[in-house]
Amino acid sequence: MKKSNVVKFAPQFAALALLGCVSVHAMADQLADIKQKGELVCGVLGTDEPFSFIKDQSSREIVGYEVDLCNDVAKSIGVKPVLKQLAVAARIPELQQGRVDLLAASLTHNHEREALIDFSLSTFITGQKVMVKKSSGVNQLTSLAGKKVLTVKGSSMEQNTKKALPTAEIVSFDNSPQAFLALQQGKGIGYVNDETSLLDNYSKLGAAAKDYTILPQSISTEHLAFGLKKGEPAFHDQINKVLHNLEVSGEADKLFMKWFGPSTNMHFQQRTFKIATDKID
Amino acid sequence: MYNFNLSVLLSGQYHDWLVAGLLLSIKLALLTLIFSLPMALLIAVLRLSPVSIFRAAAIAYVESIRNVPLLAHMLFWYFGAPEILPEPVKAWLYERNVEAASSVIALVLYTSAYMAEDIRSGIRSIPKEQMEAGRALGFGFLDTMRLVILPQSLRLTIPPLISQMLNLWKNTSIAMVIGVGEMMYQAQQVESASFRSYEAFSFATAAYLSISLLITLLSSWYQQRYPVRSA
Amino acid sequence: MFDILKNFGVFYLIGQYPHGPLGGLALTLILAALALLFALPVGLLLAMCRISPFPMLRLPVTGLIYVIRGTPLLMVIFWAYFLLPTLTGHKTDQFSTMLAALVIFDGAYLSEIIRAGIEGLPRGQMESARSLGFSYLQSMVLVVLPQALRNMLPSLVNQFISSVKETSLGYIISLSEVSFVAGQISTQLMTKPAEIYLLLGLTYFVMCFGLSRFAFWLERQLAVRSVKV
Repeated sequence: MKKSNVVKFAPQFAALALLGCVSVHAMADQLADIKQKGELVCGVLGTDEPFSFIKDQSSREIVGYEVDLCNDVAKSIGVKPVLKQLAVAARIPELQQGRVDLLAASLTHNHEREALIDFSLSTFITGQKVMVKKSSGVNQLTSLAGKKVLTVKGSSMEQNTKKALPTAEIVSFDNSPQAFLALQQGKGIGYVNDETSLLDNYSKLGAAAKDYTILPQSISTEHLAFGLKKGEPAFHDQINKVLHNLEVSGEADKLFMKWFGPSTNMHFQQRTFKIATDKID
Repeated sequence: MYNFNLSVLLSGQYHDWLVAGLLLSIKLALLTLIFSLPMALLIAVLRLSPVSIFRAAAIAYVESIRNVPLLAHMLFWYFGAPEILPEPVKAWLYERNVEAASSVIALVLYTSAYMAEDIRSGIRSIPKEQMEAGRALGFGFLDTMRLVILPQSLRLTIPPLISQMLNLWKNTSIAMVIGVGEMMYQAQQVESASFRSYEAFSFATAAYLSISLLITLLSSWYQQRYPVRSA
Repeated sequence: MFDILKNFGVFYLIGQYPHGPLGGLALTLILAALALLFALPVGLLLAMCRISPFPMLRLPVTGLIYVIRGTPLLMVIFWAYFLLPTLTGHKTDQFSTMLAALVIFDGAYLSEIIRAGIEGLPRGQMESARSLGFSYLQSMVLVVLPQALRNMLPSLVNQFISSVKETSLGYIISLSEVSFVAGQISTQLMTKPAEIYLLLGLTYFVMCFGLSRFAFWLERQLAVRSVKV
């Protein structure tokens, strides 16, 4: 009799034990944790120029706009920044499971994701657009109905494309350069990405750039932000304080010019947004 | 605490995605099977042929395919190989479902290399004298193969072929890397759209296991129904 | 292809190291070797349970092995990815996730190789050891296993080849092993996918074909030895 009771309740015990582990784990303050282990682990993509990418084959280091921002956060806490490369679809699970402290991974701030994680002040604001080959004859979004459109698995591009072009056939890859490669090879008619990434891709086409065009209409406006775990007010404040100070000191503008300004592939003349808010429309 | 919500899997759009994935996985496996069996037979026969160039070609085929992971085959056949084709062929191909086509090509090449080895060892288990006797009676190499050797080796060859079928079924999952919307791809899609990872992966695991179980049962039924006769 | 090697060769071999984590071909080899190393004791344990006279051990382990063999490795990787941190309470990175998945997966396959090795020995070995007064465990460890393991050596090398090939799936969880690195190089160059993936295939071929020749040689050596005995 007794034995069967134990067996019957075993799953509950296991669940209880599991719950115990989880709650003990969550009680510690993440900012204190980071200080204690002496490093801030930033999740980056490493494949999205100029946000995070490998610039120089001799050093093979990941650099970029978001990497610089992440370094600033680490510096303010007084710890070493550690970069961890993530797949697009793995970003939120990696953060939720605590494998990274901070997502600096071209992450779009949207309402669906607010239920899962917290966002910092928006670090970049851009529109998502579609690149097509001129030879396809497509010159507006509506002509893409029923056509093959290339995106990235688990990205906001994928979700937005589904909304904006419900009849398009969506094919998704593990990262955006692969989707771009598929466009060049003609494996799809349109390729969706943030405008900045599209401009960067466009510049890399070299002489072939004349055969491509970016459709003028945006499928959505994207607020990129750092992602962090829910319920970490101290860490959240720390990050926002750093971002705010960068904006006030004019450092944010310099960073923008370093990665997006006239001397880069992006050729932006000026910044059209400020790092000021975490509100999205 | 995570609450497992089974209803996500039983109806609604996520259910539809997952079922579509399962069906496509089954289609990929069946299509591959249909093409790989004759291909494997051809290669096995070439490997045992009296002409040394044929033998060498078959060995090169089997070794070069089996020693490279399926993932690399997939990436090559999707991103690499079609680029070598002339422009009109490429355009024709790309308007169709090139993702699925590339994955089937990679799967057929990979599976047939393994199946060829199973068929070959089945053939080799038939005593050499059979071939010699067939030839002495005036049959050619191919006729002796077809009429004398292959029918006898079938019993020994079918069980390993069924276990290759099991491998093939599991291997279809790798097609997700080139954007084929099969079971694994759809499970990941559901995961990133709904964040219901446990439900999506449970569905996929159950689907893979059920078909694997069917294949295993088929194998044990065959071995019971047609046991290998010892000479 | 030589141009690619000249520009990206180091990246291909060791990834971002020393300015970032080790990756590339080096990571592939380390991962495969560690996977086999850890999978061996796991496989041995599972095999022992599988042939054990106690149904309490035999039945659940047999079930487990069937489940693992009926599931794609990719599925096991995804489960490891999502379950491990919850179960262990530790943060696990891509490397340990992949390693854990490979150890479980290869462990199940190895256990069948080991079981076949043990069952391939004449039954008289166990019986005569028992009749000499050894216990079941002693006869297993001192008499049966050493012989079985020796006969299994070629199969073990073949399993290592499988492990090398299986590490390529780390690509899917962005583990920077050689396939992932090849993908990154391909997306940076954009116009050379055929060459790069051919190079990737060639790399695996050289490793795995070399190993399979080694397995073949081992098999011949062992065959010669057992004939002499």
